[in-house]
Amino acid sequence: MENERTIVVPGEKVFDDQRRVEGGYADATGTFATTMAMVHDGKLVPLKGYYLPKPGDAVVGIVKEEMFSGYEIEINSPYEGRLSTRETRERFAVGEVISAKVVDVNEIHEAIIAEPRKLWGGEIIDVESVKVPRIIGRNASMVETIKQHTKSELLVGKNGRIYVKGGNTALAIRAILKICKEAHTGGLTDRVVALLEGRE
Amino acid sequence: MAVSEEKQMIVNGKRLDGRGFNDLRPISIKAGVLKRANGSALIEWGRNKVLAGVFGPREVVPRHMTDPKRAIIQARYIMAPFSGQEEHGRSGPNRRSMEISKVAKHVFENVVLTGMFPKTMINVDMEVLQSDGGTRVAAITAASVALADAGIPMKDLVCGVSVGRINGQLVVDLDKTEDNYGESDMPLILSPRTGEVLLHQIDGKLTKEEIAEAMDMSFEASKKIRELQVAALKERYESILAETENGNNGGGN
Repeated sequence: MENERTIVVPGEKVFDDQRRVEGGYADATGTFATTMAMVHDGKLVPLKGYYLPKPGDAVVGIVKEEMFSGYEIEINSPYEGRLSTRETRERFAVGEVISAKVVDVNEIHEAIIAEPRKLWGGEIIDVESVKVPRIIGRNASMVETIKQHTKSELLVGKNGRIYVKGGNTALAIRAILKICKEAHTGGLTDRVVALLEGRE
Repeated sequence: MAVSEEKQMIVNGKRLDGRGFNDLRPISIKAGVLKRANGSALIEWGRNKVLAGVFGPREVVPRHMTDPKRAIIQARYIMAPFSGQEEHGRSGPNRRSMEISKVAKHVFENVVLTGMFPKTMINVDMEVLQSDGGTRVAAITAASVALADAGIPMKDLVCGVSVGRINGQLVVDLDKTEDNYGESDMPLILSPRTGEVLLHQIDGKLTKEEIAEAMDMSFEASKKIRELQVAALKERYESILAETENGNNGGGN
């Protein structure tokens, strides 16, 4: 089968040469997986991992603490996000959900956040950030499919936190969880559509 | 443990439980058994039962222990009050469990890519539910699966087995009786990919030649344990993969 998918575990050899890839580790003898991953189409796709903020990422965060100079935002990552009061005139309360953009990562690994927008009246679910590209799909095809079928408003943060509002949210969440569970398989779009159309 | 008289533990070339000298006890490993932990694993190794859970990378508590260059690892090995008989069944932190926690921490510091998560902490908790000798290697083997289940980047899955001498004969994977009445016990943890030794302790006496032979025996037995670790981790993904490939032409993406 040309589209073969192989699951690899940490320490398993992936390539014979040294490559700098996400989820890979190279030494003199080759490149090895560092997490649970899948080898597909000559690429290493991690199946597990943590979100590390990068400038330009759109994220969904939760206000964790209010400080003199701004807010501490929880972004589903080992590191915190910081939102300065200079960025916004709006006030936020602890526990509120915001969508925002990471503009910088400082020397102590905190994500500097800007362009906050309050989100309200919806639901959020946390998934693994490595599954986000699959949820969005090629040219956002997967997320558009879910939106069309459920009439929900979907906001997918790079950090693996998804905001769902309106429409059939329960179905949208079921579809997202299915994508996460079966992210490493082929023909997923067809099965997600089947779920959304109630054929499953 | 002081022994006044030598116990006969090898009869007709077999050990007390019927195993040969190079045989492991039956081992089963299951990954992802806990919902709240980031990663977890349960290992049943003969009569040993160890549950391992992993949390993190997360904020370091207490804060002053933060390392700005790498993640710190906190390992905790502890025996449940109902885990065994005699002095091994004593629960709570004691000299022995603190020592094992410390050596386990050093094992994981050498395989986890701690530099990827500076200023964080990774907790590895190993809870011995039932003990029958060789719990430290079982605990570290399970914790290694739990770390992979949590998605913490590592250079390799570590595993190991103890080798010791009973009645003058080197045997693999000593149980509690063999450990208590045998002459020596040498737990070994290694990285099977590179052959690096990450934990090497000896209780009792072994000659130079015996140590070399014991290490070879341990390396050989560890290959089987690694296969079980890999199978435990791949099982969940591969079952879903097999399920979806049936009745699916693989079209679309």
